[in-house]
Amino acid sequence: MNLIFANLIAIYRRELQNYVLTPWGYVIAGVFWLVSGFFFAVLYFNLIGQGLEFGSNPNAPAIDYAYELIRTFLRVLGQVVLFILPILSMSLYAEERKRGTLELLATSPVTNWAVAVAKLGAVVTYFGTVLLPVMAYQVFALQGANPPIALIPLFWGYFGLLLLATAMLSLGMFISSLTDNTIIAAIATFGLVLLLSVVDAIAANTSGVLADVLAHISLLKQYENLVQGVFDSSTLVAFGSYIFLGVFLTAQSVEALRFQRS
Amino acid sequence: MIEVEHLSKIYGSTAVIQDVTFSVEPGEIMGFLGPNGAGKTTTMRILAGFLPATRGTAKIAGFEVHEDSMRVRQKIGYLPEIPPLYSEMTIEGFLDFVARIKGVNAGDRPGRINYALEKCNLTPQRKILIRKLSKGFRQRVGIAQAIVHDPPVIILDEPTVGLDPKQIIDVRNLIRGLAGDHTVILSTHILPEVSATCDRVTIINKGSIVATNKPENLMSDLHISTSYDLETGGDYAHLTEILMAIPNLVNLTPIGTGLTDDGRFRVRVTAGTESSTGLDMGSEMSTALVTANIPLYEMRRIQATLEDVFLNLTTEDVEIPAEAQQVLPESASSAVQPEVRSDEEAL
Repeated sequence: MNLIFANLIAIYRRELQNYVLTPWGYVIAGVFWLVSGFFFAVLYFNLIGQGLEFGSNPNAPAIDYAYELIRTFLRVLGQVVLFILPILSMSLYAEERKRGTLELLATSPVTNWAVAVAKLGAVVTYFGTVLLPVMAYQVFALQGANPPIALIPLFWGYFGLLLLATAMLSLGMFISSLTDNTIIAAIATFGLVLLLSVVDAIAANTSGVLADVLAHISLLKQYENLVQGVFDSSTLVAFGSYIFLGVFLTAQSVEALRFQRS
Repeated sequence: MIEVEHLSKIYGSTAVIQDVTFSVEPGEIMGFLGPNGAGKTTTMRILAGFLPATRGTAKIAGFEVHEDSMRVRQKIGYLPEIPPLYSEMTIEGFLDFVARIKGVNAGDRPGRINYALEKCNLTPQRKILIRKLSKGFRQRVGIAQAIVHDPPVIILDEPTVGLDPKQIIDVRNLIRGLAGDHTVILSTHILPEVSATCDRVTIINKGSIVATNKPENLMSDLHISTSYDLETGGDYAHLTEILMAIPNLVNLTPIGTGLTDDGRFRVRVTAGTESSTGLDMGSEMSTALVTANIPLYEMRRIQATLEDVFLNLTTEDVEIPAEAQQVLPESASSAVQPEVRSDEEAL
């Protein structure tokens, strides 16, 4: 058991190193920061414009503009990451399969579960690290807001974003384990992302039991709940289920690989 | 150390390996020899615990490879057909990673990494990125990762493939140096590799074991006979008459057309399968030819090599039509075709 845990850490470390040692980590972070920064700038200057317009008007509605900005920006980020995540998850297993290193992992004293958990942990750590500066500049830019921005809902929002990302990466990791072609893995994962958006759209446009069920399984809807500050255990259960499902399917698919004709 | 019993791997209706049984003693180097597609890699993968067998058992150090997989994995070093390398890492970083996942203690790790680097002549390159290495170096890193955790059993799938002759010698010496402390099983389709490195050889063809023995015993065991190539002058009928009179001579065939450009005869004679009589036959023949006044220009003993054993075991017997074995010196005298080189040179 100790050995398996030590191996989990070893694989986690190696995966993290991967983002430092290859240009991929920097390129993805750079693009993400650029795109999210652009959206933030647009929203921010829009807000300042509104502030100027309503600031002098005593009859203006009492809206916490800064909080509204945070929520809108989190929604935008939720859309942006859907494009970034398939690229992060595509090589998790496909690359190992292509390089033959999966054979090394599969013949080392480490379980498929440990490998999957370590890989997911590493990519989530990387993604969380990429999110930190975004969160920081947001707090910094809205420092002068009156009333002061509430940090707790902001953290919940980013926590939700991280949960959304973990669930997507977990499913993406499973897809990556099905092929040794990273491009196919990325496209298939992107297809899954679109499917989830469709589920979200159907849930929004129907009513009754179906809508409830779809709303519950819709990752984007659950994320929206967290962004709105609505927080309950069913949201955590939904995200947790997706994450577990992804890891479980990955472990199974790697096991099944051994039974295939090579 | 390694016990394989009645191992079979069946995909659909195709048996990749069938009823494979062999064992490897502790400290021994066993060569697993066979043509491409014979089932070598499949056997190696089953031993390494990567593939499950359809039937039969494989035990390493007393543990069944599939049932006690985790324990077996700690006891083996495995070099797959394609060396499993993370190209963005340095050699040292990669070996450190492998040592970690194989469960080498933090205290022992630097020592083990140095040992593996030293054994594989990689110490000067330790800081180089694997991405920048040539094929020969990658193969050596592949071997280094298989020995870094000091496993009792080392499984090497085609360890010298893609290396240049100098590197092949280095790798063979490296493998020889592992004997005693480690039990090694290596697969190859290259024959000299087996005679150069292995204590014992198992020959596999079309998924079945066809022979297991020490390299030097395989030939006599399989009744491969000794032959001689002769180049003589004189009269052909006389020559055959003299030679056929020699006891133990069982076959006489022309080499190529049986004629040289100079009008000399070239024949191959084959002795009976008892090796001692085969070795004596040379002097008997030369005496007989000299006595009969037939000029002898060349006499060469062809000893069965592992190549012959291998071909004998792995290729199906092709019946040579009887008329092709007849020598027709009169009709062939003018139109001499280029000579077909003897087997051992062609291989």
